[in-house]
Amino acid sequence: MENRGRFASLIGPPALYLFLIFLLPMGLMFAYSFRAGISGAAHDTFTLANYQSFLANSNFHRLLWRSATIAFTIALISTLLAYPLAYYLVFQAGANKMTLMTLLIIPTWTSYLLRIFSWKLILGSSGVLNSLLLATGIIETASPILIYSRGAVIVTLVYVWVPFVALPIFAALERIDKNLLEAAADLGCQPWEAFLHVTLPLSLPGVLAGFFFALIPTLGEFVTPLLVGGASGSMYGNLIQDQFMRALNWPMGSVMSLAMLVIVLLLVFILSRLGNLSELAGF
Amino acid sequence: MRITKKSSIALSLLIACALLLGACSPGATPPPATEVPTTAPATEAPPAKVTGSLTLLDWSGYELPEFWSDFAAKYPDVKVDFSFMSESADSYAKMKSGFAADLVHPCSNFWKIMVDENMLQPLDTSKLSNWKDINPALAKQGEFNGKQYWAPWDWGFESILVRKDLVTTVPTSWADLWNPEYKGHIALYDSGETAHIIGALALGFPDPWNTTPEQDEQIKQKLLELMPNVLTIWSSQTELDQLIASGDVWVAASAWNASYVGLLNQKVDVVYIDPKEGRGGYLCGFAIPATSKNYDLALAMIDAYLAQSSQAKLANDYGYGISNTAAIPLVNPDTVKLLSLEDQNIISRTVFYKYLTPEQRDSWTNTWSEVKTSK
Repeated sequence: MENRGRFASLIGPPALYLFLIFLLPMGLMFAYSFRAGISGAAHDTFTLANYQSFLANSNFHRLLWRSATIAFTIALISTLLAYPLAYYLVFQAGANKMTLMTLLIIPTWTSYLLRIFSWKLILGSSGVLNSLLLATGIIETASPILIYSRGAVIVTLVYVWVPFVALPIFAALERIDKNLLEAAADLGCQPWEAFLHVTLPLSLPGVLAGFFFALIPTLGEFVTPLLVGGASGSMYGNLIQDQFMRALNWPMGSVMSLAMLVIVLLLVFILSRLGNLSELAGF
Repeated sequence: MRITKKSSIALSLLIACALLLGACSPGATPPPATEVPTTAPATEAPPAKVTGSLTLLDWSGYELPEFWSDFAAKYPDVKVDFSFMSESADSYAKMKSGFAADLVHPCSNFWKIMVDENMLQPLDTSKLSNWKDINPALAKQGEFNGKQYWAPWDWGFESILVRKDLVTTVPTSWADLWNPEYKGHIALYDSGETAHIIGALALGFPDPWNTTPEQDEQIKQKLLELMPNVLTIWSSQTELDQLIASGDVWVAASAWNASYVGLLNQKVDVVYIDPKEGRGGYLCGFAIPATSKNYDLALAMIDAYLAQSSQAKLANDYGYGISNTAAIPLVNPDTVKLLSLEDQNIISRTVFYKYLTPEQRDSWTNTWSEVKTSK
């Protein structure tokens, strides 16, 4: 009985919070998706026209696919880069572990926007890199390097996500009982075999969590593409923003957002088949 | 084996900090919660005794006290809050979703829709001491159904801004943006409306707001052909200024004259074009939302913004066009010349933004979404 009260008092506030700022707006958006508009005479009549025009608009589908590929690439690269990092912190860093961990996180303490602008200062036409290449005679005319392209969006977001992906992997690796590795060695396992058969499987929940950490927010990303993506870096999130902000077509924007939500849920479902998600949640 | 207590606390703290500071994407920030002013000031109280608060939904940069010093001097005890809008559509969306402001400051392409949807209270211009000096041509644009709803405050051109030192041919027409010389060095403004106007002017359609569906299709094809020349899409003046100053962008379409003045001050070799089809132009101003309970204070605030000193500052410091003609003598003559504030030859040919129907807004935005993501 006492346990139940404690459970309610623990789960109550966050549940209420989630309901108010997440589920309720979601519901409103769902309701909006069946409206004809936000102003004008017949704006609040029920219609399926938004869904029909979403299904008919090949540009939306193309961008959704592009965003999905970009997000997948970013999540994959971030995870591949974050794993060795987390591995080093847990197994090799020793007493410096927390110091190094702090160093890893420190860049995220400055404004994201500021970091993007400094990237532009380094990579732009009159940036540090160009000046260096010009001075050494490697290039003859300055031009923006690495920015204003789809590649730039990927590079920037990988840079943003690596520390966040490293955290759950770090936590998963920390949980591994070091005695297991000793036992593996005693039984004749090579270090790489022990890694493949003991460490890696046990850290998989953290890896998946990290992967999702990067994948899901990236799908809806619109700020980074705006700043470094240039003319070819736009993502699906930018189209949603256009519908809400410029076309003032909230119903269409809602349909597009819901379509993305469906994709995310689908991805979570598929990947939860691959790894045991309940283990991630720590139950 | 368990994670040690100390490091687990440290870790959770780190995660919390990182998520709070890092993961918040700019632009996704919700509008700050602002108190709805509840008490209307008693009219008989002398100004200095009036308390309460006034909320402005304004562009960032105009919150500086120098822009409304008359109001602060008259009502020292009134608390003035600023909430910022990122574009005109943003102010409309915020008002629609229930944001209670006492003054809003969108541009003229949103003026009619707000009047039509009964979102505003008409202005009692007899209470505005500076109204007599307002340029009548600009004031006229803020008049609907015989009532003055909008007080014009700032205007400017949207034209082609060129890095003279980086190009061999300087464009003279909107159609010159398609010149292959500029491949990968053009910046376009992120707006379907603006893109439509550029396309229409380049194709020689005299009235961009009056195009047939066939012409719309031609405009779309024309814009698609422009994309190879486009390096990036800009959405804020700071961003564009930086793009031009760094040399990444050689030719900026629809740049504001404020960018021109700002970059000249930075000694960047730029030239502001007067295309043969005419420059684009925008006009913005203040109105009082229907929901405001502080009508008199809001009116006093508009009057303060229209004051000569405020308007002169706007032209001198920011490089914008102004509506108070009596303030022009206070503006640096070079700035007046640079801004072509009095050059009727340019102004009379300027293509000012007009109201668009919801259908046009929808169709132009969709065209633009498709064009800008085509690369």
